[in-house]
Amino acid sequence: MSFEGLPKGSCAKKTSFRDSIYFWEIVRGLGVTIGHLVYNIFHTSEMPTLQYPEEKKIYSDRFRGRHRLMKREDGSPRCVACQMCATVCPADCINIDAAEHPDSEIEKFPETFVIDLLRCVYCGLCEEACPCDAIRLDTGIYEIAADSRDKFVVDKEFLLNDREHGSY
Amino acid sequence: MAKLTIDGKEIEVPDGTRLFDACTEARGRPLPHFCYHPDLPVAGVCRLCQVEIEGMPKLAIACNTIVRDGMVVHTMNERVNKANQQVLELHLINHPVDCPICDQAGECGLQDQYMEFGLYDSKVEQSDKGHKAKVKVIGPQVILDQERCVLCSRCVRFCREVTKTGELGIYDRGDRAHVDVAPGVELDNLYSLNTVDLCPVGALTSRDFRFQKRVWMLKSTEGICPGCATGCNIRIDHHGGRIFRLKPRYNPEVNGRWMCDRGRMTYKVVHDEKRLDSPLKKSGGQLAPLQWSELEGELSGMLKPGGVSLVIGSSHLALEELFLLKQLGLQVAGEDQIIGGLAESDQKDGDDLLLSSDRTPNRAGLALVGLEEMKADLLADRIKEARGTILIHGGNPAADPLLAEVLANCQHVVYIGTHVNETAQLAAYALPGASWAEKAGTFVNQDGRLQQFQSAVVCPGSAREDWRVLAEMLVLAGGEESPGNLDTLRKRVSSELFNGQEFDLNTLSALGVVPSGLAEPADPVAGGEG
Amino acid sequence: MMLFLDTLSKIGFMFVLIMGMVVVLIWMERKGAAFIQDRTGPNRASIAGIRLAGLVHPVADVFKLLFKEDIQPANRHRALYNIAPWLVMAVALSTYAVIPFGDYISIAGRKVSLVAADLNVGLLYILAVASLGTYGVIMAGWASNNKFTFLGGVRATAQMISYEINMGLALIGLVLVFSSQATPEHLREFLGADFLSGLRLTHLVAGQGDLLWGFLPKWGVVVQPLGFLLFITAVFAETNRNPFDLPEGESEIVAGYHLEYSSMKFALFFMAEYAHMVIGAALVATFYFGGYQVPWLPRPVLEAHAGSLLTIKLIGVVIISMIFSLLFFRRAQREKGKFGDARDREPGLGGALWLIVALGALGGLVLKPWGIGADGASLFASLIQVGAFVVKLVFFAWLFIWVRWTLPRFRYDQLMALGWKVMLPLGLANLVVTAVVLAMV
Repeated sequence: MSFEGLPKGSCAKKTSFRDSIYFWEIVRGLGVTIGHLVYNIFHTSEMPTLQYPEEKKIYSDRFRGRHRLMKREDGSPRCVACQMCATVCPADCINIDAAEHPDSEIEKFPETFVIDLLRCVYCGLCEEACPCDAIRLDTGIYEIAADSRDKFVVDKEFLLNDREHGSY
Repeated sequence: MAKLTIDGKEIEVPDGTRLFDACTEARGRPLPHFCYHPDLPVAGVCRLCQVEIEGMPKLAIACNTIVRDGMVVHTMNERVNKANQQVLELHLINHPVDCPICDQAGECGLQDQYMEFGLYDSKVEQSDKGHKAKVKVIGPQVILDQERCVLCSRCVRFCREVTKTGELGIYDRGDRAHVDVAPGVELDNLYSLNTVDLCPVGALTSRDFRFQKRVWMLKSTEGICPGCATGCNIRIDHHGGRIFRLKPRYNPEVNGRWMCDRGRMTYKVVHDEKRLDSPLKKSGGQLAPLQWSELEGELSGMLKPGGVSLVIGSSHLALEELFLLKQLGLQVAGEDQIIGGLAESDQKDGDDLLLSSDRTPNRAGLALVGLEEMKADLLADRIKEARGTILIHGGNPAADPLLAEVLANCQHVVYIGTHVNETAQLAAYALPGASWAEKAGTFVNQDGRLQQFQSAVVCPGSAREDWRVLAEMLVLAGGEESPGNLDTLRKRVSSELFNGQEFDLNTLSALGVVPSGLAEPADPVAGGEG
Repeated sequence: MMLFLDTLSKIGFMFVLIMGMVVVLIWMERKGAAFIQDRTGPNRASIAGIRLAGLVHPVADVFKLLFKEDIQPANRHRALYNIAPWLVMAVALSTYAVIPFGDYISIAGRKVSLVAADLNVGLLYILAVASLGTYGVIMAGWASNNKFTFLGGVRATAQMISYEINMGLALIGLVLVFSSQATPEHLREFLGADFLSGLRLTHLVAGQGDLLWGFLPKWGVVVQPLGFLLFITAVFAETNRNPFDLPEGESEIVAGYHLEYSSMKFALFFMAEYAHMVIGAALVATFYFGGYQVPWLPRPVLEAHAGSLLTIKLIGVVIISMIFSLLFFRRAQREKGKFGDARDREPGLGGALWLIVALGALGGLVLKPWGIGADGASLFASLIQVGAFVVKLVFFAWLFIWVRWTLPRFRYDQLMALGWKVMLPLGLANLVVTAVVLAMV
């Protein structure tokens, strides 16, 4: 291959002989890694590794964790099933069935409110879209685990419960 | 003819035209409005369609102004826009703004117009707003919310002028004025749901559709109401394979802008629990499901020339299906052995507005294909005479007690239908077909108008479009090759039925077509004019 | 019969050594990688709360892999698919047969050589058997009926063919050097030859016991420095280790030839990789670092000063293990109740363990090791030699790991260019220069 006619500096710098035989650079690299190894053996406490189940990272207040449904004073959900969240949801993970509320002041309420936590992308658009401040992602819960897919499909009762309640 | 200038654009309209319609034509879109409706008398109560007419000191409402030669009209200048905005603000003073729970949200005149030219900050606190009755059930189909009402009086005018029943009225005056029914009266006429369509806000909502779906989630498909022989043009609103409501589609030749409540409920049969969703075979007195692939061997006995002794069609089937059924009948049974169906089935009282006494959508189509119906006693005789397989497609002949009795004695009835009904119970094989919303096809209404409908949702289970089943049977019976798709089938139908005419079912006009010389010239139904 | 028993016990020793090394190497790999990358590494698996600094993880892995479901692709070539992992493992193990891990051991006046099979063409045997491993890899790649495994197999084959040449060329120089040498005095009787044969591994190692110019151990690396570099590079390529692990380059071909293997069959490939590493290390130690030879301390010196050497050694063990024990106990005190479970007992147990070692060594001192007899001196020399071999083995095995976590992977064209355009000419040049120098001396 010829680089003639190309402006100077347009191809890679020519490697020096010392670099081109690799050997010294390899030895230098080995020095770097063994340096880390030895340092870490004698300074185990300085390692940034987080011993996860015992130690947990503290996230900022703005961190979006698992959703929760806000309550009215009587404990029923604040949600009026307007489906704004379901409409705006980019992952299509919210499914609401509305029903007639016995109180004509409230009129409409979610009979079922289901979120598929596996589909959710935690973008927070639902809480932005909500006209009633009924859904929030402020629980800070990020340990969402279960042993079957259908356990990630959580219902209204689950979302209404406080963060202490339930496994996640 | 009157020549006038609207927003600097000169147009010519016939004398006597309303300025509103002239503006719509000139602007390409209507003026903001609530109360004006082309099919209702002018009320001029919403004051939103104000325009500036040069030479007149004050703004004038376009709906109640007749065009005059030489008029110069402005619809979009600052004065008009400001007036519109202020009128809208007045309309919204006591409006509860409960859009999250309002079924009209998404197709609401207030929302659209606020977003178009409102966009002001409200000067009224939510807590200061006046209150009226909410969630008031005023009839079997309609629910009223007086707070949301803008008193456009469209519903009142509809009940007075179109149905001539006059259940609704505006009671009280001033800011206490509200729409209501008189004590002891219900909004209970066959066209009550049209008031819901007419209502530009969420004051009148359908009890059937209430809270079922937000309207922006719905997808629309053009259809033809299968409820009666009128063939009202409809819009099928569906989401996720489920139909949520039917709305009338404007067709001045058939139904105008209305349709009846009975027709609006025809979607319920599509999602009926008793739908046939897989082929069934009778064994030991019970119907048991089986696969389509197994069926080929099971039916091989009948799918040959002379394998069927009687073919019975139905006026519920689409034109294309009737055509294929006749082809199949000619192949496996013979010309004398094909019967169009049970004459005078589904006959009930009609009215003089839209509802026809014939509650089947395609009886005229039977005649077009050349199939004749038979009265029950004659048909019973034919069934008794028949030795061998009887193929029944569509309808429910066994609903007639006489026919049920004779059919019960037949050993081998093959039924293609949509529901597990009396006929399916009597059949040796019941094959699932598509209901009217699950297939595309053509209906011929009582005036001979050919109108096409599209498939909106998919068939339940392993049910298939009827024409595919028939086409496959025809191939197995040694007939001509399968059309493969609906376009080809329609070409075939066109050339067979309308031979010699420049006519193609594939390019049917949206308003439908009455083929010349095939049916008597139809009187346009005075649906919209009321 | 005696020969049979001897051979069987030597094979047993080698097998235990290799399999033990595999476990230790897996631990070293994971823990070393973690520390090089500033991580903690595996530290969760435990037996009764004792984690042994992550050493329990390889054990846990073995049990996991043993009990996992063996998922096989539907359209595999059944026979080849099942044979491949066993072939790879068998080839890896059989190479050890000719590697000497000591010169001899005297048992009841009988001198037993410390090599399973002292072939006179041991070097050729190694080259021949090591290349058989390629068959296992290409069989696995082809029989899995998967394009990635197939590509992995093809890559492995091309790579091994290219680097075997360099490996052989580098070794010829070594063979030349040690073929023209007189057998050391003390081994002349045992080996039964006056001149060494460079192809016989026992001879090759015996030749490395000499001193060059009176002070420099005559190790392969000293007489053949370039040959050593070429050889170790080729060994890295032969064992498919980084930076030559293209047959399993996960960024391009997922996991290469063993992609479709699971359960114990995968474990066999996995263990074979480490077994190959141990061979590689053993070969480097044997060919270039004097095998079992202790520098400056050949067998006669060891035997002559056995008493004092043993005493010094035991004292050293006592001191070092006391220090370790002390460090552990201090840590136990410092980190009391840190975890609140069985893990808190670990430093205390470590201290106790080192204390037992120290006490054992002290007990040894009580037995007056300075007065050791002639038989004892011979045994001591043999054990020291085996120990030296194991230490070299562990170091070079660690070198494999160390290099893996230092260097990035080659591109395939770079791999081929290095093998054919750089190493092959250098190998030839090395051979010519060696031959000329030997002819002149």
